[in-house]
Amino acid sequence: MDTRQLILDTANKIFTDHCDKKLLDAAETGEFASELWGQVTENGFDQLGSAGSGTELADMFAFVQQCGHHAVPLPLAETLLVNFWCGPQEGLSSFGELSGDRIDDVAWGRQAQRVVGIGVEGSTLTVVETPEVIGRGTNMAGEARDQVSVGSDATTVEATEDPYAMAALTRVNLLAGGLHRVLDLGLLFATERVQFGRTISKFQAIQHSLAIVAAEVAAAQRAADAAVDAIGTDRFVYEVAAGKARVGEAVGVVAEQVHQIHGAMGFTHEHSLHHYTRRVWAWRDEWGNEFYWQALLGNHLASLGADNSWDFIATRG
Amino acid sequence: MLQFDRVSLDESTDALRAEVREFLGENQMHFPHPNSDFVTGHDPEFSRKLGEKGWIGMTWPTEYGGAERTFFERYVVTEEIVAAGAPVSAHWIADRQSGPLLLRYGTEEQRKTYLPLITRGEAFFSIGMSEPDTGSDLASVRTTATREGDAYRVNGTKIWTTDAHRNHYIICLVRTEPPGDNRHAGMSQIIIDLKNDDVQVRPIANMAGGEDFNEVVFEDVLVPADRIVGEPGNGWEQVTSELSYERSGPERFLSAFRVFVELVRACGENPAPHQAAAIGQIAAHLMTMRRMSISVAGMLEQSKDVAVEAALVKELGNNFEKVLPEIARLAVPSGPEAAAFRSTFEETLLLSPSFTLRGGTREILRGVIARGLGLR
Ligand SMILES: Cc1cc2nc3c(=O)[nH]c(=O)nc-3n(C[C@H](O)[C@H](O)[C@H](O)COP(=O)(O)OP(=O)(O)OC[C@H]3O[C@@H](n4cnc5c(N)ncnc54)[C@H](O)[C@@H]3O)c2cc1C
Repeated sequence: MDTRQLILDTANKIFTDHCDKKLLDAAETGEFASELWGQVTENGFDQLGSAGSGTELADMFAFVQQCGHHAVPLPLAETLLVNFWCGPQEGLSSFGELSGDRIDDVAWGRQAQRVVGIGVEGSTLTVVETPEVIGRGTNMAGEARDQVSVGSDATTVEATEDPYAMAALTRVNLLAGGLHRVLDLGLLFATERVQFGRTISKFQAIQHSLAIVAAEVAAAQRAADAAVDAIGTDRFVYEVAAGKARVGEAVGVVAEQVHQIHGAMGFTHEHSLHHYTRRVWAWRDEWGNEFYWQALLGNHLASLGADNSWDFIATRG
Repeated sequence: MLQFDRVSLDESTDALRAEVREFLGENQMHFPHPNSDFVTGHDPEFSRKLGEKGWIGMTWPTEYGGAERTFFERYVVTEEIVAAGAPVSAHWIADRQSGPLLLRYGTEEQRKTYLPLITRGEAFFSIGMSEPDTGSDLASVRTTATREGDAYRVNGTKIWTTDAHRNHYIICLVRTEPPGDNRHAGMSQIIIDLKNDDVQVRPIANMAGGEDFNEVVFEDVLVPADRIVGEPGNGWEQVTSELSYERSGPERFLSAFRVFVELVRACGENPAPHQAAAIGQIAAHLMTMRRMSISVAGMLEQSKDVAVEAALVKELGNNFEKVLPEIARLAVPSGPEAAAFRSTFEETLLLSPSFTLRGGTREILRGVIARGLGLR
């Protein structure tokens, strides 16, 4: 078995054991999943992709897809990227969007020992050690998103790849995993719920709805992998743009259809569907929504000109 | 089945792609008005030129006139031709569907007779599946072929048969035995000569102003018995496997591609934000579907069963072919500057109802996907 598969299988096992409804509920009320964090670091999952870890960024993003699939209530994508950019360090690192002397929407900023601020433009990262949290909040999925101040002792690091696009790429991969989970829940519910004397999966309307969802999920997966594969190429930002735009568009369809399939049960707090649907709704708006990335990609194509647009699309990879 | 593997085209395909583009550049006179809908341009001379280049039946064995090239190479050639909007309808069905069918199920004599002609762009095929009372429920076909000595006597009517009035042959799904308990038994496929057998072909005008599909009537047409494809009675298996060849290619998501090109042109170098977003939205879809389609080419290269994956590509592709013009129209202001966009847009919009019908309707494909998901 190759390294990546080994990582994914181990992660899947740990996350399946830990990330149950109880843990997700607790995390959404602000409780840090410290036991799970311990398991993650013990296995070296906070260093994937970093120099010396023996793994590549592609392994890291495959792991991030797993995190999305399990709605892991830890800022693992953030810790991993900051470790990659600034050198691995023990403890939790995170990032958010740089806004003057603040960094906004820092995932679990309150737990972080190091926070990186990312601007919409440029490749310079602002690094804050032992950050001061000046505001606490959450996204619509109840995931901690805090505000951190940038003091005079902040330092800078140069990123090799566009950092805003890298941040967006974490969301693309979380989404690919999360959307797949929503489909799985839809399939499970449809094959268990009985009405009119048969499982609702026997109704054509439900079958077609799940077929639509499956197509969106397959597309999301392929788009996410393509964006990861573009790391290190001159197409990177545009491939992330295509990925975030495409996967973001899948979210609305998938969440809507699968909620409809679940009936009233899926609208309860008790059922776990909303842990995944609220996350995919939140992630599609983080680090640039569809419109932002579509416009970026569209401007690039316009600059190439109509008769070169096919050449841009028809890549080898 | 939801995993579309990361597949990249080989570096060696670059040269082939360049060669196809050069060829298309030199043959612009065959498509002064490009259209990426593969049904719209029937040009035997252009098809023969493609045959000369070795670009028809590319993956087939050389002994039958093929070039033994990979599915990836075939993919590159087909996507370049379709994206450019060149006329491909004449040889398209023979290359995509009838040839592979004969290769897999045909008799040796049939392979030797038809495949070399197809690869030279000299034999064009039509599909005779639909009938007046048989659409999605293909197993309900009524056209009969009754054995009489060395021949079959064929009676019945096929309809919506694309290019039957222009092509050389039609492969018909017929009943060689009356329907019994198993409705999928007793069907066969038979090759009928549209030029020489005594067949009546009547074009049917479509709503877009074209006359591409036809009604084809068989009244006591006698067809030599050796024109049954493969084994008599094996028609259902053959026809279902044939349908899966045709579902995942670039023609399943590029039919409206020229509208996209004209959209980019109409928006100019400095598009407004909503125009840029429209361009980017379409591009993001096209880039993703293209990669899924290439993943399927990779599966074909490994001789894997692609029925469900192909249905997923067609589901996404055909729906998006209809959405593309809808996105584009809102981004382009009316007025004389947009005349080129309007004409391409209107032409495509008029063709668009067919995108989710031909080759199996959207509803039927969703059923195929649902079966793959284990729901039926
Ligand atoms: C441009 C064009 C070219 C074509 N070329 C050819 C050709 O060359 N050769 C050939 O044989 N055929 C050809 N066809 C025919 C095509 O294959 C049929 O249109 C298609 O199979 C659907 O059949 P139908 O039109 O009779 O619709 P029907 O089967 O009557 O369906 C009508 C509607 O009902 C829906 N429906 C039917 N059954 C079900 C079900 N079980 N569940 C849910 N919904 C259902 C369909 O999805 C559709 O929306 C062509 C069609 C077009 C539009």
